[in-house]
Amino acid sequence: MLAKELYDFRSVIQSQGIIFCYSGYITEPVLTGIGEALKQKLYLEEADKTTMRNIFAIFVEQMQNVIRYSAEKEPPEDTDDVNELRYGILNIGMENNKFFVTCGNKIQRSDVERLSDRLTDLQKMSPDELKSLYKQKLRGPTEETSKGAGVGFIEIARRSTEIIDFGFLDVDDDHAFFALKAFV
Amino acid sequence: MDNIKIEGTDRSPEIDFEFSNNKFSIRGESYPEDVTAFYGQIIENLETHLSDMDGGNVEFNFELIYFNSSTAKVLMGLFDTLEETAEEGVSVTVNWYYDEEDDTMEELGEEFAEDLEAATFNMKTLET
Repeated sequence: MLAKELYDFRSVIQSQGIIFCYSGYITEPVLTGIGEALKQKLYLEEADKTTMRNIFAIFVEQMQNVIRYSAEKEPPEDTDDVNELRYGILNIGMENNKFFVTCGNKIQRSDVERLSDRLTDLQKMSPDELKSLYKQKLRGPTEETSKGAGVGFIEIARRSTEIIDFGFLDVDDDHAFFALKAFV
Repeated sequence: MDNIKIEGTDRSPEIDFEFSNNKFSIRGESYPEDVTAFYGQIIENLETHLSDMDGGNVEFNFELIYFNSSTAKVLMGLFDTLEETAEEGVSVTVNWYYDEEDDTMEELGEEFAEDLEAATFNMKTLET
């Protein structure tokens, strides 16, 4: 039973073209480790360098989003504790001959509208508009709610070869699940 | 100012700041856990040094394989500092090395260079 159960689980994942799947607490060393394996896999797939670097870049920005912003965390209260753990799920795979990186994590429901507006704007932008916004954000002050440069989503949109896909699902009174998918 | 030499790691670049002859290099990959912790002090030292210069030549070499968006913010600030230094009468040469098979890194170099007027900017391919 054990082997069958786990094999079925693996088959479900593989049937969706998923090559890497991780669900759990995401830390910087987890990012480093999966990142190394991802680079090796892309190298063995003989992906061209631009594609490799774009996938890797999207992967890094997505993972760092979870590490910094996931609302599902231990301990639950806000602290500056470096041992804080944040939960997220990552899938990297292939669909219609394109690589994809999907990442998901819980967020506060109060953040859904802001995030949704921001990503909808990015979906509508041309490459030139994305470039201008990117440079503007790089020069601007770091946003208060942002622990990074606040340009992660723009970076993801710029490196995707298709329009980024995203969605939200309410999971309880306070939280929604946020998913973001990018293709290269 | 003492020269700064930091070995590269998987996630942070090699830093080679030779204040003594005004030659500065950043090489490798840059997606450190904490960008401010990595770059904060060295960039501050560099800015102090450059603002104290009275004429002379500065060479800055970027040989980056990959950098994340938090690093991009640091680089943008650095480019602005280099341009301001050139405007003050220092001869500034910026060399952007990129892997010729990596179109994105070439484009990023061109984008950073768009705002340079007083500083000289060169695109160079990395020997691989």
